[in-house]
Amino acid sequence: MKDSLLKLNIGILKQISDHAKSDFPEECCGIILSDGEQDFLRQCTNVQNQLHLEDPSTYPRDARTAYQIDPKELLEICKESEAKNRPIKAFYHSHPNHHAYFSEKDKADATVWDEPLYPDASYIVIPVCGDDSEVQILESMRVYTWDLNVGDYLESEIDSSNG
Amino acid sequence: MSVIVRIPTPLRKLTQNKPEVEVNGNNIELLIDDLDANYPGIKERIYDESDNIRRFVNIYLNDEDIRFLEGKSTPVNDGDEVSIIPAIAGGILIF
Ligand SMILES: [Zn+2]
Repeated sequence: MKDSLLKLNIGILKQISDHAKSDFPEECCGIILSDGEQDFLRQCTNVQNQLHLEDPSTYPRDARTAYQIDPKELLEICKESEAKNRPIKAFYHSHPNHHAYFSEKDKADATVWDEPLYPDASYIVIPVCGDDSEVQILESMRVYTWDLNVGDYLESEIDSSNG
Repeated sequence: MSVIVRIPTPLRKLTQNKPEVEVNGNNIELLIDDLDANYPGIKERIYDESDNIRRFVNIYLNDEDIRFLEGKSTPVNDGDEVSIIPAIAGGILIF
């Protein structure tokens, strides 16, 4: 039973799917801000390749199996979020050639200091598959939101009924 | 040396919800000491057990990641802005 809903319009869903396809075979990432009426998509740069190149022992994974949002972009988006009163509604990233799930690493990285970093933001995961000739979204994306009562991230449902 | 430090939302419960605080010190390490003296608990969240900046904590001096400057010893000047930014990251399951 999925007991919470994340409202996202078709336009935003298409844009994040397209982002996942264009960054394939690497993980894409980004942020959705919302003022309650309108959502604002901010595509971000995945800096995981850079981290891996600079320090492979700390960052054994490259961008094909991990992501980190460019911290500088994240800082700017956080500033925008506060200055314009557009709280972070969701973070999104893709899983190239994998299903949509919230992995142990996804969860651990979202729960540092023994608590959720952004308890009010959901995490959208986009599964994207492909080979040399074609890249596609084969199944639905999934969303995970912190549940205060359970003290864990649980799957919630995407509601795109309002367009 | 008086510097503005930008506190990320997850740490604001330690700073009475202040998004920015003013602290003193002439390098990053001293700033963090002063920050912790005023807002106890910040230091243990920024440093690991060996007093290194945690992997998932990014610290920027103005527009520069301090990892590419002099790390904790990076000098700061009056009017600089320091930002603490916990990483948003993850990765697929690897078998
Ligand atoms: Zn993931």
